[in-house]
Amino acid sequence: MEPLPLPTSLAEVEQLIIALYQPNPPETVSRIQEILQRLQKSPEGWQLAQSLIGNPNDNIKFYAALTIIVKLNKDSANLNDDEAKELLQNILGWTIASCAQGVAPFVIKKLCVALATFFIHFSQLWPNCLRHFLHSLDIGRATPIEALDDALETPIIANNLEISKLKVAVWFATSLVEEVGKTDMNSIKYIHVHERLVRNAFDLASLLARGFLPSDDAYQTQGESLVCFQAWILYAQRLSSNTDVLVTHLRELVGPALNCFAIDDLFQPAAELFSDVLSNYSGFFTEAHYASLASLFDSEWAAEHYNRVIHGDHQLDGISFGLLMLAYGDAKVSDLMCSTDERSQRFLARLAGLLAADGYLVGEDSIFVPALEFWATFVETMIDNIYSEDEAKVNVWRSHAEQHLKSVVSNCWRKAQWPPAETFAEWDSNERVGFTDARKDIADMLQSIFTLENLTLVSFFSGLFLQALSVQSWAEVEASAFCLGSLSDCITEDPQYDVELSKVFASPFFDLLGQAQGPVPLRLRQTGLLLIERYCEYFERHSEYLPHALNLLFAAVGDPVLGGPSAKSISTLCSSCRCILTSEAPAFIMHYQTIRSRQVLDSLAEERIILAIASIIQAIPDSNQKLAVFENLYSIIKADCERAVQLKQQPSILNLSDPNFLRGVEQPGDVPSADEVSQQLAVRALRSLQSMAKGMQDVKEHVVDIDADPFFANQDPKLSAIQSDILNVLVEMQKNFNTSGEIVEIICIIFRAGFSETEPGPFVFPPEVVTDFLSQQRFETPRLGTLLSTACSFVGSLYRGPKNMVPSLLAQLLPWVINMLSSLPEPESDTEVAQNGICFVDKIMTRYPEVVFQIQPSQMLEFFFMFSLKVLNGKEPLPKTASAEFWSNFITLKSDSPDLQGTINAAMEHLGPLISQTLIQNIGGNAARSELDKLSDPLKKLVTSQVRSRQWLEQALFDPSFPGQQVGNDEKSTFLRKIIGLRGARATNQVVREFWLACRGSNFSYAS
Amino acid sequence: MALCQNRLQEERKQWRKDHPFGFYARPQKNQQGVLDLKIWECGIPGKEKTIWEGGLFKLTVTFPDEYPTKPPKCKFVPPLFHPNVYPSGTVCLSILNEEEAWKPAITMKQILLGIQDLLNDPNPESPAQAEAYNLFKKDRQEYERRIKRVVRENAAP
Repeated sequence: MEPLPLPTSLAEVEQLIIALYQPNPPETVSRIQEILQRLQKSPEGWQLAQSLIGNPNDNIKFYAALTIIVKLNKDSANLNDDEAKELLQNILGWTIASCAQGVAPFVIKKLCVALATFFIHFSQLWPNCLRHFLHSLDIGRATPIEALDDALETPIIANNLEISKLKVAVWFATSLVEEVGKTDMNSIKYIHVHERLVRNAFDLASLLARGFLPSDDAYQTQGESLVCFQAWILYAQRLSSNTDVLVTHLRELVGPALNCFAIDDLFQPAAELFSDVLSNYSGFFTEAHYASLASLFDSEWAAEHYNRVIHGDHQLDGISFGLLMLAYGDAKVSDLMCSTDERSQRFLARLAGLLAADGYLVGEDSIFVPALEFWATFVETMIDNIYSEDEAKVNVWRSHAEQHLKSVVSNCWRKAQWPPAETFAEWDSNERVGFTDARKDIADMLQSIFTLENLTLVSFFSGLFLQALSVQSWAEVEASAFCLGSLSDCITEDPQYDVELSKVFASPFFDLLGQAQGPVPLRLRQTGLLLIERYCEYFERHSEYLPHALNLLFAAVGDPVLGGPSAKSISTLCSSCRCILTSEAPAFIMHYQTIRSRQVLDSLAEERIILAIASIIQAIPDSNQKLAVFENLYSIIKADCERAVQLKQQPSILNLSDPNFLRGVEQPGDVPSADEVSQQLAVRALRSLQSMAKGMQDVKEHVVDIDADPFFANQDPKLSAIQSDILNVLVEMQKNFNTSGEIVEIICIIFRAGFSETEPGPFVFPPEVVTDFLSQQRFETPRLGTLLSTACSFVGSLYRGPKNMVPSLLAQLLPWVINMLSSLPEPESDTEVAQNGICFVDKIMTRYPEVVFQIQPSQMLEFFFMFSLKVLNGKEPLPKTASAEFWSNFITLKSDSPDLQGTINAAMEHLGPLISQTLIQNIGGNAARSELDKLSDPLKKLVTSQVRSRQWLEQALFDPSFPGQQVGNDEKSTFLRKIIGLRGARATNQVVREFWLACRGSNFSYAS
Repeated sequence: MALCQNRLQEERKQWRKDHPFGFYARPQKNQQGVLDLKIWECGIPGKEKTIWEGGLFKLTVTFPDEYPTKPPKCKFVPPLFHPNVYPSGTVCLSILNEEEAWKPAITMKQILLGIQDLLNDPNPESPAQAEAYNLFKKDRQEYERRIKRVVRENAAP
């Protein structure tokens, strides 16, 4: 858009300003603004302001003041002292006149900001600005600065001022500290401005002392004085030096400010001021001030306010008084904790009482969370003190403090109770989240208190639990169970805790919990089941309660709400108590079968149950029995797999009234095709198998003898039969669902589950079986990258086991991997394949270099080297990193066999120049900044271990293809000299970084 | 060291005063129940109206002695399937990188919100794990299926 021409007359400008403040489309507003800003910044800006200020329209006057501020900030350097003084006289004059004319406050306030801005730029001309301003106000016109010498004392001037002028003076004092406060206190440019401002402290104190006196303007000036006082205190806090005078003067005003509390209209700003200063600058107040505050809190007046916080409507009346008490408490927390006098005790009791205000948490009661925050600090302070102070000292106050903690705990317990379901349903999402968040805070708090109160706290809640249970007060039972649950991580094996927990777990509650249609509300059933999960270690110690607990959980598995959490609890309990539960495994399998014949379980819940049962099977000591039970569970899942394949091959058999097929419908109500159902059935079945594989993992550590024969050689034939059965299932599934990436992914997880095992098991396949499975995979297989990453893990597991078969297995896998890489259309077309392929070769090369160098046909190796160099020169960070690591290892590769060492040397002779070329291309500007450290590694290795590296690197640096056009030959030579001189030391990375920056040119310094 | 502790106290105070809904962040407690301000346990909810909605992902934030000069380390526990999360669980994000966009003024709230944004808006320029990155780039449908499962496995209570 063409810039508009500037207006040619004042009238036009005035029209534009009026238009600016009228409702207009945003484009119009921004165009007007653009024109006006050009005017403001032009040399005529000063005259413009002067002409506009006389206009009767307040918006135009405001704009005039704004223009002065803009000009001052932009052009003040162009004014000499006389011009500046004249300007000051003008602004002062306009301000005083505006005050007399009753101009709108927003204009006068803006003029005050203009004066403050003047002070920032010309404080040397106007050091006593506040006194001068007061004097001019008093006289009724802008007086010359020099006239100040003959003026009355500031307190007298302030006392004489009419109330309307006094208010303007307070505005100016506020603007002054706010504007100056925005400038950098440590910069040389402003240091003197701050010094001069502080010298106005006495005048400020005189002004505010008058401002705090009662006046007949409906407390407006007193209110403004509180705001001004607050701004100055917070300014004093930020000031690093010269604060004493200012702080001393400000402290004199605390008393008068405190008196404002007595006036209802001033309560809000006064509470804000004191809360703010107590929380952010508690050192400002003296002990005498604290004493005044303490007696204020102990007064009738405070009792009334407190009562309003406890019983009032927080939305309507606010909670300022509560926050004020908390801010005081926070500032004096250590003193309060150690004081045993009655007044402190009364105050603390009230702070504990803030946790018991009317209404539900957060939505209605907004004081609870900040009050809990205070108590968290209180408890932390107690813990710190108890650990660091003498016992005798602590004993003086400890019992008093603990008394308050008791009310804190019982108030928390009461507040943690859920509202009736119909009330909760009416809450909006913020209120709901707020409530559950506050419950989390309560749990946190109880954990801290546990540190001090341990058994007492546990028995308190177990007592409440039983008491509430006896009268079927469900919300109270729930809160007790919740509180007990929150302590599960703190409670140790100590039998005295078990006594308390047994009271709970042996109570009739858990019988009631089992009844789906029983009296226990849903929410409490949830909490009850969660309590079982949280105390699974207790059940390990008390196996007599375990079967009942698990039966309860199994019974809840089919429930739409409780199913998920119950399944999770089952898997936690079974996994950690597996050894006690071995005899229950067949019964649990029955349970599982019964449930799934009745309904379609949530797939994730089902996986967790299977994992739970498998982990019990894993712990069966007798191997025959173990395999028998395993087959029992496995046969169910195998049948699922077979059904999926059958359906895939014969879509006509689909029958959605059969739960066995219905399991394949992802979303209830969907009408999917037979193919989709079969796919989903296959995924579910394999996920179940995956859960079995994970459950069967051993949790104990076993010693491995890496020189022993592999245990597969003389493995139990029954186990071998099961393994080959499982393998057949996997192969069949992959064959029939050959386009599914998810199925490949699950098969990989199943294999991996066996890799970490050191004892035989159904999923611990013989290594040759895994090798065959992997090396038969084709390039077209989906998720090839995941298969290659599985191959890497497999190699890792081979290295941990017996080693005699390893080289032959690696020799079978290596050509497969390189073939996969060579099938890629471009090295970077599949980053996962490229990265894992390179990692795989790297893993073999570092341990069994002979396997790599004996590969047939040998062109494969040649291909791999070139592939890996291309990747190193490419743009994909992950394979590039893998390649950099590969080359780092390759460069330093050594062998004990002279023949092999000869081959390695010959390869290096050929590859050295190419590696150097690739590294230098990267460092010369092609790499991204974040890759430089990784690329420095092979460079350092090259310098330290290859005698010809200097020559190779030199060639690469002076090659015409070198990317960095910004650096000359001298810089290249210096770079080379430096990195050779550093001999692979860490500082190389920094040299590389600097050279890379130079090659990219400074513009690129933050580009990547 | 003192600077680090003071700042962490302040961060804790600020977080308690004002934190986004559904998130949590609290310092770990040691055996005696005393807080260790340098290790925080956090939870990041998936954003509404994204495929991450309904999940709550656990994160450990570890502060170095040089904090806030140096950024904290954020690690999903267990490691999360996401293009910008390393296989170890460590989050790769410019505001958490000392050499990139870290500034001492960045607060806990900003960090956690930044990571929440990253969930649904991965940065393909700095991949940290091949699996998620590759699926994200090559097979968005499969990627989303996988995220849905991750969300179910980490469902918010």
